[in-house]
Amino acid sequence: MTDVVLENVGKTYPNGYHAIPSVDLSIEEGEFIVLVGPSGCGKSTLLRMVAGLESISEGELRIRGERMNEKEPAERDIAMVFQNYALYPHMTVYANMAYGLKNRGVPKNQIEEKVTHVADMLGLTELLQRKPGQLSGGQRQRVAMGRAMVRDPKVFLFDEPLSNLDAKLRVQMRVEIRQLQRKLGTTTLYVTHDQVEAMTLADRLVVLNKGKAEQIGTPMDIYNQPATPFVAAFIGSPSMNLIDANVTEQGVKISDAVTLPLSHEHRGEVVWGIRPEHLVVCDEKNADFALRIQAVESLGAETLIHGVIDEKSGKNEPMVVRLAGPHLPDINSLIWLTAPVQHWHLFDAKTQQRL
Amino acid sequence: MIENRPWLTVVSHATLMIGIALVALPVWMALVASTHPASAFGVGHIPLWFGDAGVDTWKTVLFEKAGNGIDTPVFFMMLNSLVMALGITFGKIAISLLSAYAIVFFRFPFRNLCFWIIFMTLMLPVEVRIVPTYEVIANLNLLNSYTGLTLPLIASATATFLFRQCFLSIPGELVEAARIDGAGPFRFFFDILLPLSRTNIAALFVILFIYGWNQYLWPLLITTDDAYYTLVMSIKRMLSVTDGDIAWNQIMATTLLAMLPPVAVVIGMQKLFVKGLVDSEK
Repeated sequence: MTDVVLENVGKTYPNGYHAIPSVDLSIEEGEFIVLVGPSGCGKSTLLRMVAGLESISEGELRIRGERMNEKEPAERDIAMVFQNYALYPHMTVYANMAYGLKNRGVPKNQIEEKVTHVADMLGLTELLQRKPGQLSGGQRQRVAMGRAMVRDPKVFLFDEPLSNLDAKLRVQMRVEIRQLQRKLGTTTLYVTHDQVEAMTLADRLVVLNKGKAEQIGTPMDIYNQPATPFVAAFIGSPSMNLIDANVTEQGVKISDAVTLPLSHEHRGEVVWGIRPEHLVVCDEKNADFALRIQAVESLGAETLIHGVIDEKSGKNEPMVVRLAGPHLPDINSLIWLTAPVQHWHLFDAKTQQRL
Repeated sequence: MIENRPWLTVVSHATLMIGIALVALPVWMALVASTHPASAFGVGHIPLWFGDAGVDTWKTVLFEKAGNGIDTPVFFMMLNSLVMALGITFGKIAISLLSAYAIVFFRFPFRNLCFWIIFMTLMLPVEVRIVPTYEVIANLNLLNSYTGLTLPLIASATATFLFRQCFLSIPGELVEAARIDGAGPFRFFFDILLPLSRTNIAALFVILFIYGWNQYLWPLLITTDDAYYTLVMSIKRMLSVTDGDIAWNQIMATTLLAMLPPVAVVIGMQKLFVKGLVDSEK
């Protein structure tokens, strides 16, 4: 069953700024959707429009088939977790979680039952009588989630909920959020700028750029088949090597000196891309091109080699190679690489679409 | 500066003690003076130790009549002052809270204009507009009434401004969380805003109570009936004696009594007051 539908939803601010031109998205019940994009791409605005904290200027938002555009946030049956948690500082954890239910006139014994249940699930039972000021960041994060969960809403909205936590806690909470969502089966909309979070949490990803949904799909689809150079560069770390190239009779000409053989019906300007992990080190004879090493980042499990190709023409196209395991090549030395054709990504330079 | 130098300790303590003595000496003298008969001051020397007329003077002043033409006891005038001070304090806090709430959290036409108009009243304290204000109060038949004593002093830009700053520091996400939790304007005000500005209210209470208690000019103008005399203004009245001696002992007792409530308020609310000025738990 479709749970949340955004139909041509757009946002224009009173000063004329067109933040979101038009977004179409339909979310299945129980689905975990992650909105991801660089800062200023409108992902938070979109989430706030679903929440009802920003008005919807164009299009329609439906939750369970019901038009929501004019409804107050409280009437939409959604719950939101904010970036800085937005806990009521003067209330105890219990009161924080109970407040929404109290305002809805839920009887006291039911409130107590629900809060105790959720607190138990999140491991907050010990902390119920504390104030937010006496909690650590991770605990506050949990309380904020608990406050959303007690209401048993139709949709959860998360606005970069993990960005204020330290790295270790972030990983832990990420896993926990995913598990809780699976267990509760609540439709979830999650905003983040962190692509690891996006890839690991999402059933489907929405990559936003300048208010437009560049691509909507499962994390693996987006990783394997990015629709545009923007998506290709944004998803994946280190990001994909993208080089302006030209498709001719001989193949893909990525520089004056390097032409990679490929027969393709397309002719003209393209963006050629390959992920750092797909480049293969080989000997000089079989190589497609040589890389002049400029920097090496050894991470133990993998090694990132930064360098430039195409030195002769002076274009110095930067390229990153990712190798498994530790390697210690000399700076300024050359390594030879092949780019297996099955891992290429080609985009039309004009339309920015995948070929 | 945490240093362990014995001389520094001695010197700083001595300085503090001299300071305390300087401040406390007049109060001490007033206390001593109130225990001597009125005639003791005519002879030219100032007594520095308690006399024997203390209990009588204090009893008379507090419960019978203040003296020098004022027949109301000080106890009664203290009640008047208290009503006026509390009326001004609570009135000001209530009105400023509401106006700051409107200005910060609601979008309505001419919102900024409203704020600046309120702000501009800072330039028009009661002393500046005293004649027209008197006329208004007189026309409303509010002379010699508690309403007349408090109402003109209630409108306040300072408190509005203070609460505005306090409300502006409340993060927007908190407001939004409350909206999602289904808190309407009233619930938000009483459940979130009031508890969060608790320390600010306390700090303002102290300042405003003292301001209200010490009002002199306005009560002097609009009260002609002994029943509405406030304590601070009647001290002056007790001094203006045309013939005979000034009853210094009674005046000193009255003065000390006038000092008591503000001191009590400051001491009682010291902790909250400092907290309200210093920290914000948001």
